[in-house]
Amino acid sequence: MPALRGSLTYARFFVEGELPEDFQDRSMRAIRLRAMKPLEPDEEALERSGWCAIGEPFELELGHENVFYNEFVNLGFRTDRWVIPGPMMRAKMKEAEAAYLQKKGREKLSKREKTELKELVARKLRKQLSPSMSVVDLSWSLNDGIVRFFSLSPRKAALMMELFQKCFPVKLVPEAPYTLAARLGLSKAEERTWEELTPTLLGIGDLA
Amino acid sequence: MQLLDRIEARRFVGREFLLFLWFESELFEGTLSTVAHGSFGFWIERRIVLSAGKEVTQIKGAYPAGSREAKESLQRGKLPELAGIHVSLREHEMNFVLKADTLALSGLSLAAVLDGGAEEEGAGLPPAELLGPPQRKKKGPARGESDAAHEAFYDRMQRTRELEELLEALYRDFLALRLGPAWEAFVEPMLKTWCAGDEGTELDSDGYREKRENALGGKKRR
Repeated sequence: MPALRGSLTYARFFVEGELPEDFQDRSMRAIRLRAMKPLEPDEEALERSGWCAIGEPFELELGHENVFYNEFVNLGFRTDRWVIPGPMMRAKMKEAEAAYLQKKGREKLSKREKTELKELVARKLRKQLSPSMSVVDLSWSLNDGIVRFFSLSPRKAALMMELFQKCFPVKLVPEAPYTLAARLGLSKAEERTWEELTPTLLGIGDLA
Repeated sequence: MQLLDRIEARRFVGREFLLFLWFESELFEGTLSTVAHGSFGFWIERRIVLSAGKEVTQIKGAYPAGSREAKESLQRGKLPELAGIHVSLREHEMNFVLKADTLALSGLSLAAVLDGGAEEEGAGLPPAELLGPPQRKKKGPARGESDAAHEAFYDRMQRTRELEELLEALYRDFLALRLGPAWEAFVEPMLKTWCAGDEGTELDSDGYREKRENALGGKKRR
């Protein structure tokens, strides 16, 4: 669900911390440093995340004009991952095992040989495939101190938070009933009740 | 206690908030109000999911919260986990699903203002399969195209923010009642009566409204 068109599905994160005076310049350097670097078949990494331009997953040369929209920092959070279909991997592995055993004149592979062969087969298959790609839009409203992340996947949110906090000198706090209450502010008396709060029981057969 | 533990320990408050919105929207016949926003339309539509532990009840329909099954689920101890909501604020109509545990919004549809006229979001876009494989765009879209895209983005964010402010105001009012003496004094008893839903039981919405306004600082709502 993208930020720029269609219906909106997103989770909010509250930004904690002060932004430095040279925030825009520093941020652009950090963003460029962590722009997405596409996966190569021969490298060890099987998954990688990085920034791209919002709405443009293949635009990895990021400039001020495609990141800063007035008071918003807009980015695409792109994750590439190698996914080899199970049946394809099994079939190719079977072929490779048979060829290896015939060459060696043996009947069985050791555990280590099997692992090495699997890696070799996977690398060969990666050259024939493209990594799967997912992109989630992110929009940081600097005035409100809110990041809107256009996905509700906890895994993607965790990866995004890791990259975000490497990039920017602030802390991200996920929105939840607890954190929103803290952001809105409670009086001392409310805080005391809040700390001791227990669920309201409405029914005759409460299941919770 | 760590922040994450505190967050988890208070997830239930989101469900009580959604229950409270459902209760008040029914009591006040689909018209809620806050000091900052005045009156606006607010009701549950299309879908509601109630759960307790692994027991889940999903109800779909034009007005799912009005079904007998929904109230029976409450009586069995389930609370709303998510609900489809319609908000009618000034000239804007908005639909979305509110997820109680995280307060996240999904499927929020806004009417976009493009080229000076109102246009429904997504209308006129070709299906994804007709767009062909992704292609690297030439650098720098035409200036007019870029400006229009930026304008549309600001418009969407502005309206999203307005809705968020509305929900935050509702949550703040809920917290003021939930964390004050009002909860035990009249909100919880009224909720229980509403939840029991006995036929012939008339809920005193005017009396509730008056007590509610007094509890929230005597601020008169329009």
